[in-house]
Amino acid sequence: MEEALYASEKQVKRRQRIRLASVYALIILFAIFIIIPFYWMVITAFKTMPQVETAPPILWLNPADWQWINFSLALEQAPFLRYTLNTVVVAVIATTGTVITTILTAFAFARLNFKGRDALFMVFIATMMIPGEIFVITNYITVSRFGWVTLDQTYFDAVLAMTMPFMTSIFFIFFLRQAFKTIPDELYYAAKVDGKTDWQYLWQIMVPVAIPTITTITILNAMNTWNAYIWPRLVSMDEEFQLVSNGLRDAFDDQAGRIMYNEQMAAAIIVTVPLIIAFLLLKKYIMRGVSRSGIKG
Amino acid sequence: MLEDQSNVKAWFYLLPALILLGIFIFYPIVNAVFLVFVDNYNYQTGTYDGFTLLDNFRYVLSDNNFRMAMLNTMLITFVSVPLSVIIALLISVWLNAIKRMQGFFQTVFFLPYVTNAIAIGMAFAFMFNRRYGLINWFIGLFGIEPVNWVGMGASWGNAMIALIIYITWLTLAFKILVFLSGLQGIDKQYYEAARVDSASKSRVFLKITVPLLSPMIMYITVTSFIGAFKTYTEVIGMFGERLGPPGNDRAMITVVALVYRALDRSGVPGALSEAAAASLILFAITLVFTFINMQVSKKRVHY
Amino acid sequence: MEITLENLTKVFQSKKEEETVAVDNLDITIPSGKLFGLLGPSGCGKSTTLYMISGLLRPTTGKIWFGNEDVTPVPPEERGIGLVFQNYALYPHMTVRQNIMFPLENVKMDKQEGLEKAQEIADLVGIGHLMNRKPKQLSGGQQQRVAIARALVKSPRVLLLDEPLSNLDARLRLQTREEIKRIQRETGITTIFVTHDQEEAMSISDEIVVLREGVTQQVGVPQKVYDNPNNLFVAKFLGTPPINVFDGRVENGKLYIGDADIANYDAPDQEVTIGIRPEGFKIVERSSFKVDVDLVETIGRDTTLIIPHPNDETQSFRAIVDSEYGVQPGDKLKFNVKPSKIHVFNKETGELV
Repeated sequence: MEEALYASEKQVKRRQRIRLASVYALIILFAIFIIIPFYWMVITAFKTMPQVETAPPILWLNPADWQWINFSLALEQAPFLRYTLNTVVVAVIATTGTVITTILTAFAFARLNFKGRDALFMVFIATMMIPGEIFVITNYITVSRFGWVTLDQTYFDAVLAMTMPFMTSIFFIFFLRQAFKTIPDELYYAAKVDGKTDWQYLWQIMVPVAIPTITTITILNAMNTWNAYIWPRLVSMDEEFQLVSNGLRDAFDDQAGRIMYNEQMAAAIIVTVPLIIAFLLLKKYIMRGVSRSGIKG
Repeated sequence: MLEDQSNVKAWFYLLPALILLGIFIFYPIVNAVFLVFVDNYNYQTGTYDGFTLLDNFRYVLSDNNFRMAMLNTMLITFVSVPLSVIIALLISVWLNAIKRMQGFFQTVFFLPYVTNAIAIGMAFAFMFNRRYGLINWFIGLFGIEPVNWVGMGASWGNAMIALIIYITWLTLAFKILVFLSGLQGIDKQYYEAARVDSASKSRVFLKITVPLLSPMIMYITVTSFIGAFKTYTEVIGMFGERLGPPGNDRAMITVVALVYRALDRSGVPGALSEAAAASLILFAITLVFTFINMQVSKKRVHY
Repeated sequence: MEITLENLTKVFQSKKEEETVAVDNLDITIPSGKLFGLLGPSGCGKSTTLYMISGLLRPTTGKIWFGNEDVTPVPPEERGIGLVFQNYALYPHMTVRQNIMFPLENVKMDKQEGLEKAQEIADLVGIGHLMNRKPKQLSGGQQQRVAIARALVKSPRVLLLDEPLSNLDARLRLQTREEIKRIQRETGITTIFVTHDQEEAMSISDEIVVLREGVTQQVGVPQKVYDNPNNLFVAKFLGTPPINVFDGRVENGKLYIGDADIANYDAPDQEVTIGIRPEGFKIVERSSFKVDVDLVETIGRDTTLIIPHPNDETQSFRAIVDSEYGVQPGDKLKFNVKPSKIHVFNKETGELV
């Protein structure tokens, strides 16, 4: 081969630099595509209505001109604090229930030996394939029959209707079982030799070891509740009992005519910010959990 | 496993979940099958006028809304899933190629996963606003006339484009995360070996990266198909309960939306049977596509 | 193709700006058409050196010559090298044939020609009948050969092997190392391989270099390096069981371990470190080197005696003697030491005295 065929070191480095720069350029381009809706939401929320209704759109606002009042106006459009409280109540109950039932069931599948275990597990897995819409129909009938969805529904009824169907999750059982399975058998035998019962072993050894996974389950379950829209709308008979997503959508439906986009976006921020904060604080658990389990949002 | 474990103890651990699953998952599956084969079911009294084999399906299938819903659902699925899989694949390959700021960009690309579909849907709707929106301003820079995407009387096609862009945006995050973790799991030596063997970048991508990632691509495609068939909240986020631009109500109706519309009329005898029929049709479609995907994967996916 | 490494240095920089010198000023000439071993304990910079020769790593300073050509700035894909990775890096989704064809397709070789070439190379390494298998369906030894075939198929100027035997079980290792030697002879290609296993390096290399912390210790024909180690490190690194090390001294032209007079030695009086190969001991009637045998291991023709160390009773050293002596534990013996098996090193520097 001819020496002249080879690129010089400088050329090679230059080529690499150009390639890397174009990769960064593409990434930044798509990152902007991802960020823009958030930015648009924020900037609109801080505009006055005349600014909102300006073409071409105003893309930058001096912080001094930010209309913080939009947030308080948004809060007047609907009882968002009430909705937030409702959501927190539902999230805490449903998540606590889910975590407890999930731990117990995952333990049974991962560690205990009982007749029909594998068959039952197959049934669980098969159920994951079935779209949730099929359950919703009958669940609606069921919660009505239980007297939780009636014209004189109490707050307690509404909370029961919103939480009881979501007190366990086959997917999370499966996910946690996988985590439990990675705990070596020797730990169990050692605990048995030390005279520990299964119950003690579960709470003193398995749960602490699997805390990262359990944390992931807790966070994702709470986030699901925060974003729940369809079921709460279906089973809350009183507007007061609704969750944040419902309040957000209903308060700014344009049936009434002109939409106050700035207030609408302010309300959207009120709903979104807690999620983003939770995400940034718990990023590690959320991203690791989602990538490992392939949980579909 | 120790040998002497009693069955009774295991069932004690299983009981809470089994009761809940029995009431809210297993029974509903059976009941859905029951509902779909009875006439004029009244859920408050539990009465019905005998059995029927196909009436409920026939009723749903003949509904104009159903055809629209089917068309929309299929279109959303077959455009947004391939689009988002390809874009996510490219972004994750690029992300995997950089070191500096990788974590930062990974976080940025994951943000849509942790947003409220209603809240961000409303933001998208306003971005597509005809007069004051960002999109029309942007395409205006290239001399394109403002388009009525989601406003009063917007056409079905325009609304669909806006909706699909929104759904693609929303579903990228999950795919990028899974692909990136898959890419990071590929042994770097494959790339070094390919480099020594003078493989070009595009050949490395097509002949090594894609085949090695194929189980993950397959998995993502299957779950995304299933997810896209169930599109509903996204439509509400962008268009509200009207399910379409003002003056073009229900233009964006989906199969799942049909199920909930039937539930809204739950007082009407037979409405829940229609909902059950629609949901079972959805289930059947999901099954068929999952099955097709599995068949394709047998031939194409390298494990 | 003769390969010359000229003042080759590689410095890795960690995130905290800490510098690690992985390879330090290496100067080696690798003769054309030979099988050359880079030998050293883990972390000695041998793999780094191999990767620099391949072009996957760039030297911090220094040059690499392929014949008369300076390839230092040349990227790996243009160097004309074949590289076999430690874990083979066979593409799991491709058949053996596709794996071997891959490098040829990259250079757009005619398909028919490529197929013939692939088959020819596969036959050479003895896997011609496995062309339609996937890597997973092959044994470790077969995978190894596919990797070698893939590296050889494009007729590289140099073949590089990274720990070629480390992933094989003991029996396969013996067989494969013969195989590598045969393939290298038949192709006549300059081959460089990396190993931490001195036995492996000694058994197949035409020449070896022993590296320690990035610095060359000794270069040469394996047996010569074994017989004439430059320093204590090389002496200790080569040979199983390892060389026995004693504290001793040179006094009046004689070498002593404690009170025992081992041999005549022409050097100024000084404290020294003495290395004696286990096979260097002879049982004799009269000698001042007296030992008590602690344990006896007999394997076939050889008997290994485990004997309390004269410098430290809690340690022991090994001597290999003919099993015909019938030595029993507890026996008291007298040793002579073969002068050729004694190596004397400076106590501080470890260099040969």
